Amino acid sequence: MVLSDLKQGEKATIKDLSSLNQLVKTRLMNLGIYLGSEVNVKTKMPLGGPCVVECNGQRIGIRLHEANSIRVEKK
Amino acid sequence: MMQIALFGNPNIGKTSLFNQLTGSYEYVGNWSGVTVEEKIGLLKNKQAKLVDLPGTYSLNPLSRDERVVTEFLLRNHFTSIINIVDASQLQRNLHLTIELLEFGKPLMIGLNMIDVAKSRGIEINIQNLSNKLGVAIQPIIARTGKGCNQLLEKITYEEKLPQEPFRLDYGVIIETGIIKLVDLLYECPIELPSKRWLAIQFYSGNDTVKTYLERLLNHALLLELLAETEKELLETTGQTLQDAIFEKREQFIRTVLNDSIVITHEVRQSLTDKIDRFATNKYLGMPIFLTLLYFMFMITFNWIGSPLSDALDSFLSGPFTNWLENILNKFGTSAFLFNLILDGIVPGVGGVLVFVPQIFILFFFISVLEDSGYMARISLVMDRIMQSIGLNGKAFIPMVIGFGCNVPGIMSARTIEQPKERLITILLTPLMSCSARLPVYALFAGVFFGKNQALVVLSLYTMGVVLALVLAKLFSKTMLKSEASVFVIELPPYRVPHLGTLAKSTWDKGKGFIKKAGTFIFGGTVVIWLLSVVGRSGFNVTMDDSLLAELGGFLAPVFAPLGFGSWQAAVALLTGFLAKESVVSTLNIVYHTSSTAFLQGVVADSYTPLSAYSFLVFILLYIPCLATVATIKKETGSMKWTIFSMVYPFIIAYVISFIIFQGGNLLGL
Repeated sequence: MVLSDLKQGEKATIKDLSSLNQLVKTRLMNLGIYLGSEVNVKTKMPLGGPCVVECNGQRIGIRLHEANSIRVEKK
Repeated sequence: MMQIALFGNPNIGKTSLFNQLTGSYEYVGNWSGVTVEEKIGLLKNKQAKLVDLPGTYSLNPLSRDERVVTEFLLRNHFTSIINIVDASQLQRNLHLTIELLEFGKPLMIGLNMIDVAKSRGIEINIQNLSNKLGVAIQPIIARTGKGCNQLLEKITYEEKLPQEPFRLDYGVIIETGIIKLVDLLYECPIELPSKRWLAIQFYSGNDTVKTYLERLLNHALLLELLAETEKELLETTGQTLQDAIFEKREQFIRTVLNDSIVITHEVRQSLTDKIDRFATNKYLGMPIFLTLLYFMFMITFNWIGSPLSDALDSFLSGPFTNWLENILNKFGTSAFLFNLILDGIVPGVGGVLVFVPQIFILFFFISVLEDSGYMARISLVMDRIMQSIGLNGKAFIPMVIGFGCNVPGIMSARTIEQPKERLITILLTPLMSCSARLPVYALFAGVFFGKNQALVVLSLYTMGVVLALVLAKLFSKTMLKSEASVFVIELPPYRVPHLGTLAKSTWDKGKGFIKKAGTFIFGGTVVIWLLSVVGRSGFNVTMDDSLLAELGGFLAPVFAPLGFGSWQAAVALLTGFLAKESVVSTLNIVYHTSSTAFLQGVVADSYTPLSAYSFLVFILLYIPCLATVATIKKETGSMKWTIFSMVYPFIIAYVISFIIFQGGNLLGL
């Protein structure tokens, strides 16, 4: 499944980032989101807006499109 | 003198530390990109200079902001590094530390927010951490200044900071590539402490370093090295260079942290979580933002700002003018000087100073938004709308700041990663109605729109925003359609804004306005007044025979179809290019008035409600002020786009004002 499949409040582990836009991938790595990171979906904005994920106590906003390219495994 | 550079991730108190160490009044904000250019301060003990660089996650830059940091490393001479590290986010922060250690200059870590870390249940063994990394570490709390003096002592007086050369092994394939590149570099005149650092950065995909190396080495040779190493790595391990280098560092950090931190307890729900449940709520996020914006503008313009401005105006035009008149009479001032001061400078400069309360209140609110951490949430909430016009949520921040002043607004566009989106944002920010335009609205709206004042002013603000959105769509679909839009944003923890910091940042933003009143506006009013009393026939002519009237009269026909073809309006627009608020100063002089109430009377005779509104729309749009144009030139580095940024608003302003005035006439308004 992909990150955007998760519902608000659900947790998952990152499995694959390779199909992500390079810039977004680098930025997520900067913020400490990488293979094996545990993420928690905090909010999904309406109308296909961005979602907020929490990872290691920090909150990061990314677009739904990008969340679609992040493969995760639900916990 | 020794020069020390300050590096660190965004939002972790770097600028606070800078203020603590230098005692200067640098500006601090709680969202990425407040430090827009490197700032230099003198350490409190006067032993060295400290350079504050923009916050960066990595030395491999993605945004213009981060490029400043990498270029600083490549081109500047400095003695040592202070690396501020967020104790509550060590895993992520230490990536930058590794890159800095590899650079090879003496380095010391300021371990910030140990209190926050403790409250999150993270216990840090500083001695172990220091031993593992091979650097000195000073725990600090930058906001309160705790530990900062010790840091200052250590960095300036400990001759040789205890530091062993740092070396992380990246595995056979990458190491072979590094050695090959370093060998090539031996023949080059490089003054950097570490060639190995250059090689590692090159392989990890750092474009700024690549450009630097391309001037030293053969382009094809470099590409060949890169391709060769990447290919071998992919075939053997299935990893890209970027991933492999990142993972090695990640592993190293994990072993370091295993020995130096203990998690004592799990965290409960933090305050930030609680606030964000509303502020970034799926349904409430947008309404909350709009409500805050509404209150911000109501307080600024109606509830508190206007009464203060009115009081200041009646003081300046009443008691102050009388007092000045008495003094001037007492000293027997010549009629010329008397008139220059009372008809020129006082109404000119005073007419602008009257708006100081409103402008400071607006800047105060913008500072609160920045310092509290809410600004990043605005980006998030606005992203969906911005996406539909080809930009991202971060582009909304320059626009919000642009309401205060376009210049810092344009500079804050540096945090936008994609060059195309950044350029569009820079071009459109001037359409945001800055506080300097407010005096003009206030004057005309007060005369013509009475009870609907606030509504009319709001319509102008809205028009600026709507036009910016429409044009963004147009620009991103036509002239600048290359890259896809992306958006990743860190939402920093909320913090209660520090009153002292707010006062400082409000003052720092607003002082420019007062300074302008004392320089630009002052000079401008003197010139305008002189031109208004000198004519072809000599001195002391009537206003209508003055050089000013002649100049304005020459330009006036251009604006006649828009409803304001008087020479006075033309002159006011001309001076408005220097600074928007000088439109009011100029009107004060050309109509020979000394108080706002008086000017309102004259304006009421010279305009109709329709032509007044057309004039206001024109003022809103017609051209960015001189300071903004200079900033656009500096930020885009392109004469072409700078000229474009001056021409397109004029055309749009002309067309819209034309439609409003002529259309209104047809409708019989």
